[in-house]
Amino acid sequence: MPRNSRCAAILGCMALTATLAGCSSLTPSSAGGDGDLVLRVQGMPPATDKPGVALFKKQVADFEKANPGIKVKGSTTVFDPLTFSAKLSGGNVEDVIKVPLTEPQRLIQQKQVQPITGQLKEWKHFKEFNPQVLQPLTDSAGDVYGVPQNPYAQGLVYNRELFEKAGLDPDKPPTTWAEVRTAAKKISDSTGNAGFVHESKDNQGGWQLAMLSYAFGGELEKEQGGTYTATLTGEPTKKALRLLSDMRWKDDSLGKTLLNNQNDVIKQFAAGQVGMFMGSPGTYRLAKMQFGMENTDAFGAAPMPQSGGDATLTGGDIYMVPKSADKKHAAAAVEWLTFAYAKPQYSTDIAAEQAKALSADPKSAVGVPTLPVFDKKRQTEIDAAIKPYVNVKPQNFKPYIEGLSTLKLKPEPPYQAQKLYTALDPVVQAVLTKRDADIDALLASAEKDVNAKLAADQK
Amino acid sequence: MALLTPSRRPAAVSKEPVPPALPQRRRGTGARKQLTAWLFLVPALLVFGLFAWWPIVRSLLISFQKTNLVEPAVWVGLDNFRTLFDDPLLGTAIGNTLFFVVLGLLIGFPAPLILAAIMSTVRRGAGVYRFLVYLPVVIPPVVAILLWKWFYDPGSGLFNNVLGKVGLGPYSWLESSDSAMLSLVLEATWAGMGGAVLIYLAAMVGIPGELYEAAEVDGAGIWRRIWHVMLPQLRSVIGLLLLVQLINTVQVFTEPYIFTGGGPENSTLTVLLLIFRYAFQDGEYGQAAALSFLMVLTLALLSAVYLRATRSWSTS
Repeated sequence: MPRNSRCAAILGCMALTATLAGCSSLTPSSAGGDGDLVLRVQGMPPATDKPGVALFKKQVADFEKANPGIKVKGSTTVFDPLTFSAKLSGGNVEDVIKVPLTEPQRLIQQKQVQPITGQLKEWKHFKEFNPQVLQPLTDSAGDVYGVPQNPYAQGLVYNRELFEKAGLDPDKPPTTWAEVRTAAKKISDSTGNAGFVHESKDNQGGWQLAMLSYAFGGELEKEQGGTYTATLTGEPTKKALRLLSDMRWKDDSLGKTLLNNQNDVIKQFAAGQVGMFMGSPGTYRLAKMQFGMENTDAFGAAPMPQSGGDATLTGGDIYMVPKSADKKHAAAAVEWLTFAYAKPQYSTDIAAEQAKALSADPKSAVGVPTLPVFDKKRQTEIDAAIKPYVNVKPQNFKPYIEGLSTLKLKPEPPYQAQKLYTALDPVVQAVLTKRDADIDALLASAEKDVNAKLAADQK
Repeated sequence: MALLTPSRRPAAVSKEPVPPALPQRRRGTGARKQLTAWLFLVPALLVFGLFAWWPIVRSLLISFQKTNLVEPAVWVGLDNFRTLFDDPLLGTAIGNTLFFVVLGLLIGFPAPLILAAIMSTVRRGAGVYRFLVYLPVVIPPVVAILLWKWFYDPGSGLFNNVLGKVGLGPYSWLESSDSAMLSLVLEATWAGMGGAVLIYLAAMVGIPGELYEAAEVDGAGIWRRIWHVMLPQLRSVIGLLLLVQLINTVQVFTEPYIFTGGGPENSTLTVLLLIFRYAFQDGEYGQAAALSFLMVLTLALLSAVYLRATRSWSTS
């Protein structure tokens, strides 16, 4: 019996050792079996997107042919702020990550990504990048940390069908916030649906208030002597909130469900229950591909309505290199970023080839307008090259494209924007859920709290 | 447990006189048994050490550091705790958590007891009722919450529709800071009471029928039989479930996270949700670890009360 017990115990230890050895295999391998450098990259489309996967695989094959000694391993993993730091700490993050434009400044300030300026500058067209597009990926010293894909400016997304039902002209969407208010009330009164929806939770209430405040001419942060402070009590932000309050309590045009994040809003929009919301043309993809919007002809996009600001917030996907990548992997990663994302957005041939491949799937969305990654001339050439493969209704995006040029494109508040949004979420919620919400007091309290945090961070 | 101790069992069952073992041999056997025991323990110790104890120690260390989990951490002493106590949201989160605990005690705690008392009187179809009551426990929490989100929808939700038929409402269940926490407690009670109902039912089966009969002969009505017979007999189970509920409700996270994200106006921001925000929205891992450490201390205190209470009940 004791011998059996010992055997069992030893077997147990062996099993544990095997388990731990298995765990160690989770850490990334730095080189392939034949000595090649293995580059793990996010950005591979999910298996359901067959044309996308085929295109990605072709890109990988072409890249490996052009760069012998590098093997690219695609990952469908998407950036998740909840697990990113832990994975980074454990060395399990890919060598290239894909993040939404709300994240780069936070990652740069937390030093979780690395600058790629030196190597990126070697590409002969680097200087032609649209500086407005690179600004949100750049630190205070001027170092660039990523390559953008499909950048966009926030605008007004609206349901053309509900516009028609409410007696509004879908080809002439509102251009001012007073017009938005009027249109929202008409939609709400005549169709019973929410005329306009403002996000309000998961920091997205603060994020949307930032873009609304920009449209009224506001700023949420200022820098003085290298120190940032929040400026939440400006008159434009107050005006923006008063507008929301009036739409909620005087017009009752914001619908019944008031605690929403972006997915909640797009889901309702895809179901035809929302007249307007602040969003980008890129939400077309989410509405169609993720939330099954059937009547995609009803999707309309307009530039951000203005009330004195003549400005809007930018957005998009960014490819970055995390701090965990060593020198060799970082160099290979920048090579990949240039090959897979910079060049296709510059070359008309590659752009056309990719558009053709993607348009093979009726569920895809080819031709959703973006901001020019390079200069306007180049973007016009790219648009002409992909024109035969466009499968969205270009006329539905016409107001957006025509109106965009008059607006100033502004990045998010540069320092700890998420903390500002956390403080502003409850303010938006109070305005939407309390008839007597004291906007001045709420903003003053939020500003005081967030400035205490910003000051502590900048000590 | 003592009966299962291997060294005692042979002596207890054997009628043969046990020959005295040589001192050297006894020592050798003892050492071998010790070694075997330790070898058996090694895997568990390693697994616990690596995946439970080390992270706890690491978390405690991080509460005194500023770190982004990539670059070397900087020792900041008690700074994280100071920042924590300067944050006005901490008081809000503690207040909300206590409010959830109290509402849980008022609504969530008696509900399964009452339901079990009613179900224990059912003669036919008891299995069906047990199945129905336990069903919410096996539904994944996220699915249950999304289902209740629709129940609570102020426009087309089930509750407002049903209440509207009798001329009540509409109510802003999750959309108002006055009713949001209550709405979370109602869902949490529905989702979690299945287990408690089964435990109460099992305990009620163990109450001797003679006690009820004797009380009935003495003229006790239904309420007196419940108050003077059933509840005293269930005392230890009630106490145990009370403390388990306290510990669970202090750690409430899923409901506010999915239902409301802490809103409206931070009225459902709980301590665990605040820890989550520090770590994953703000990247302040030091502050998150510091608050987690304080939370652990609080839970340890509750656990000590729990152990002390159950010890006295088990010996009474």
